[in-house]
Amino acid sequence: MSDTQASGHHARDKAARLHRELEVVWRNPRGLRALTVVNHSTLGLRFMATGLVFFLVGGVLAMLIRTQLALPSQAFMTPEIYHQVTTMHGTVMMFLFAIPVLEGLAIYLIPKMLGTRDLLCPRLTAFGYWCYLFGGIILLSSMALEMAPDSGWFMYTPLSSGEYSPGKGSDFWLLGITFVEISALSAGVELTVSILRTRADGMALHRMPLFAWYILVMALMIVVGFPPLIFGSVLLELERAVGMPFFIVEQGGDPILWQHLFWLFGHPEVYIIFLPAAGIVSTLLPVFARRPIVGYGWAVAAVIITGFISFGLWVHHMFTVGIPHLAQAFFSAASMLVAVPTAIQVFVWLATLWLGRPRMSLPMLWILGFLVIFVCGGLTGVMLALVPFNWQVHDTHFVVAHMHYVLVGGMFFPLMAGFVYWLPLVSGRMPSERLGRWAFWLTFLGFNLTFLIMHWTGLLGMPRRVYTYDSAMGWDIYNLISSVGGFMMSAGIAMVLLDLALHWRFGRPAPPNPWEADTLEWGLSMPPAPYNFASLPTIKSRHPLWDNPALGDEMARGEHALADASHGRREILGGEVLTGRVRERIHLPTNSWWPLFAALVLAVVCISLLVRLYPLALGAFLVAVAMLLRWSWENGGHPAAAPLGDDEATSPPLHSRTRGGPARFTMCVSLMADGAFFLSLLFGWFYLWSVSPQWRLPAESPLDPILLIGAGIAFALGVLWLERRLRRLYAGDETRLSPAFYMIAALGGLHVLLLVALLWQADLAPTDNAHDAILLVSLAYLLGHGLLASLLMAMQGRRAALGYVSARLPMEPGVVALFWRYQLGIYAILAVSLGVLPRVIGGGA
Amino acid sequence: MLGLAGCSGDYSMLAPSGPAARDIAWIWWGMLGFFTLVFVVVVGLWLAAFRRREPRERSEGEVRRLSRRWIIGGGLLLPGVTILILLVFGVPVGQRMLTLPLPGGEEPQVIEVIGHQWWWEVRYPDTGDGEVITANQLVMPAGEPVDFHVSAGDVIHAFWIPRLGGKIDMLPGRVNRIRLQADEPGVFGGQCVEFCGTQHAHMKLYVEAMPPADFDTWLSARQAPTDVGEGEQHQAAREAFNEHCARCHRVAGVSQATVGPDLSDIGSRATLGAGVLAMEDGAIARWLVAHQRLKPGNLMPVHDHLDAETLEGLGSWLETLTP
Repeated sequence: MSDTQASGHHARDKAARLHRELEVVWRNPRGLRALTVVNHSTLGLRFMATGLVFFLVGGVLAMLIRTQLALPSQAFMTPEIYHQVTTMHGTVMMFLFAIPVLEGLAIYLIPKMLGTRDLLCPRLTAFGYWCYLFGGIILLSSMALEMAPDSGWFMYTPLSSGEYSPGKGSDFWLLGITFVEISALSAGVELTVSILRTRADGMALHRMPLFAWYILVMALMIVVGFPPLIFGSVLLELERAVGMPFFIVEQGGDPILWQHLFWLFGHPEVYIIFLPAAGIVSTLLPVFARRPIVGYGWAVAAVIITGFISFGLWVHHMFTVGIPHLAQAFFSAASMLVAVPTAIQVFVWLATLWLGRPRMSLPMLWILGFLVIFVCGGLTGVMLALVPFNWQVHDTHFVVAHMHYVLVGGMFFPLMAGFVYWLPLVSGRMPSERLGRWAFWLTFLGFNLTFLIMHWTGLLGMPRRVYTYDSAMGWDIYNLISSVGGFMMSAGIAMVLLDLALHWRFGRPAPPNPWEADTLEWGLSMPPAPYNFASLPTIKSRHPLWDNPALGDEMARGEHALADASHGRREILGGEVLTGRVRERIHLPTNSWWPLFAALVLAVVCISLLVRLYPLALGAFLVAVAMLLRWSWENGGHPAAAPLGDDEATSPPLHSRTRGGPARFTMCVSLMADGAFFLSLLFGWFYLWSVSPQWRLPAESPLDPILLIGAGIAFALGVLWLERRLRRLYAGDETRLSPAFYMIAALGGLHVLLLVALLWQADLAPTDNAHDAILLVSLAYLLGHGLLASLLMAMQGRRAALGYVSARLPMEPGVVALFWRYQLGIYAILAVSLGVLPRVIGGGA
Repeated sequence: MLGLAGCSGDYSMLAPSGPAARDIAWIWWGMLGFFTLVFVVVVGLWLAAFRRREPRERSEGEVRRLSRRWIIGGGLLLPGVTILILLVFGVPVGQRMLTLPLPGGEEPQVIEVIGHQWWWEVRYPDTGDGEVITANQLVMPAGEPVDFHVSAGDVIHAFWIPRLGGKIDMLPGRVNRIRLQADEPGVFGGQCVEFCGTQHAHMKLYVEAMPPADFDTWLSARQAPTDVGEGEQHQAAREAFNEHCARCHRVAGVSQATVGPDLSDIGSRATLGAGVLAMEDGAIARWLVAHQRLKPGNLMPVHDHLDAETLEGLGSWLETLTP
């Protein structure tokens, strides 16, 4: 008897010591140093709190709009202010609220659901947050300065161009949004890699919680979908700032190119917003139906198919532009087809409810609201995909209503369901059921009052974005009803906030796993410790907590993997993509000032571009690059990350002792984003060439063939040499590694020099015609990549000399090699597209 | 601000007055009926799931069979069949608005419309009797197809007459085409529907369909040399026009500029300022005094330096410009 008591005592002591050790390694600093935090829970909450503030700003703007339109011929706002308000409402809700809040939710939840302690790139999380915050502040400051963008949230040229929007408004939009998008891209990259490579032992892809599938697809869509808009923004800002005429017809550009680039991003973006929200539904619904989801495979397939189809729909925003009718028919059918995977999901949910024992509760109420609104929005979406009907209602209030049904129904209602559902996890307290019901009904009824009637207003002919209307049009009563509904919805949202505020003080303490859920995050303490899990579980099914309700306690007692922090490192497990079997221990970087500093300097770049202090912008940009490189210096094989010991455990090994699993993945996914940017560039070139009405290809290509081929050969030699040297390194040969790397870097340098010569010799006139302008952008893109490739290689030379790269630490050069291969690939494609094809097809008029 | 007293046509696409708009209105009502049914069934099933109690434990195979029935029925068949029906009915309707050759080989009437910030330039191409240019009003023959060739002079606008059919964007540097037809003579509203800046809201087009014979009369009246009021009475106004207005506005036989709206037949138009004021006695003078209050931000400079007498004289002269 006393023996078992003693051993129980002993186990408790051991667990307490483990938690103390983990606490020391993982805890967030306080005071000023709280700015250095990289922990995913903290940053996820910061993302969501910041998003909430922006949401309130966007909401106030919406109320201003509804006030102006409540009665005919009102002079509440001047047209100039009204257009700033509508533009900012759309921009804030889309870019500063919807996407970042969902990213924040994913950043907060994904590691907890996957049974790990943090995301794979914690400093990138922090960097993304700061970019989001600073970009958002810069964008909002334009309103305080009364020079907010006013060309509508999709910024069609030429209205947003220098000629028709001479103020700073468009610049605020282009620069601020691009800055915010850095944050979306970093979240996209690291969520993808974390979901693929850091799941708990045994969590094969088919055992992954559905939420992670949705987030994986969303993250990949961000990676591929955002670069076209960044590219478009760069072009438009270049046009506005220095007069490179990408979108000016008379000089060989084309305003429709902007529309393509914008909607190439803009349509996937709708699904980037919808998918995580649908993921919330797929996570909550089985919990409240008290049975596993039926048709898991169907749901996963539907999500993946949605992701693919959503990149083939963008033209349905442009049916009235006058594109060829065959193309319209294709995009019309594709737009309708996306209803299929969506319908599959709706019926997966329905079947789960039907075959389960559903109970009604607050989160379910919000999901019910989601269903009603979203099905409506989906059905009007199918209507809009029909080209002739689209020609009638396009750009009327019918579309405004449809879009709010899809976005508010498809995103905001599930978000609220998730908010109520996960609130106890964050705070340890339950929200109020009664306040919650009031909030729901006010929001739900207010929403439908506003937007259901708005379909009708649109059918009666009211265009969108009119700042006033005349009483004779017969739209008065419908607009008044919409405005009343809008204010009712605001009252509902105020109740949500009230509930949030009160629950911290008066909420009933939450029991463990209050909703009887199946996913791992409910096995954590509430609120979770900064390290989430004291020990990392092994997963055998899709429902770990239903299979073993005691799993949470077991993990807390340190009975599972990686229950050791005496080494002082933040460690998680890396697994195989398909099976989730453990492959390596990954040591994560800790709290740092670099993300904040780098983002601050980028904010300086952004502001100095706004006020057109280009030397300062260039200087700050170089400082930012230097900071990012400095930040990377202490990673990988650097002793500050994980000093090389004499007898290290090799099963599983530390990741920096391998050929680079997770790091290679991160580089690959980053290069996917870069590749999407590159494809947008290529699209721009071929689009202008083939479609732009006044495009002129010069009779003689300005690119010197000798220099073009020479630069390619220099770089190809570098890649070949690097590959050979890598094979020898992996075979254990580390002799003369550093000089070899320096020589390879020198070949990269030669490549850059030849490119500079090519550019010099081409003697382009980029402000004169679109052809030269896009040629210059392409060459600058190659030049930037060539420079970075050479710089990274030279750093490898230095690191090899210092012993950070060696036969025992072979990780880094393989990662850099991926970048070199990429540069070689895009160089070849661009050389053919810019240099060879015009010669083959011929120039002239 | 005054109403559009002169413009009796409304903007409702559910009150169609032409074949294209009528087909689309029918498609709308059909879709509304069918989709309401789908909506009621889906939401009804969802609610019913909460009401019913699962009678017994089901075997794994049974669950799989049942769920597959749900998912294939609702997720594949329902949308699949709906899409097929929609495309079969919908695609031919779109054909109506394409400017394909007419069956009898006739040439349809062509009208060119050019969007400007924030007014409409309407041109009747030279048919041998001289080109006709007008602004903010579109007169067309009723009962026969008319091809509109549209483009823009500055930013992107969109051309839309809801009661006749769908819209098409007006792009700088390109010409888009759409075919519309009015069944009967009548007056309809037109409106710019691509956001084009400050006064996007006040870019309305007065559309009138006339019996073809009346249309021909209307057109040939404008092809004949206009009476520009040679009399003594308007001498001062004509001089003031030449000094202050002629750099932007065209009046056939007086000035040739095309920066602002053509004024050659302004006296005969129904509205002023692209739908801001009804044309009544003294309306033009009122516009000249107060146009920046009536249509804030419009691109016509303020003429504060002109005395009231000159403005009134200009107004009453311009009102006489009617063929």
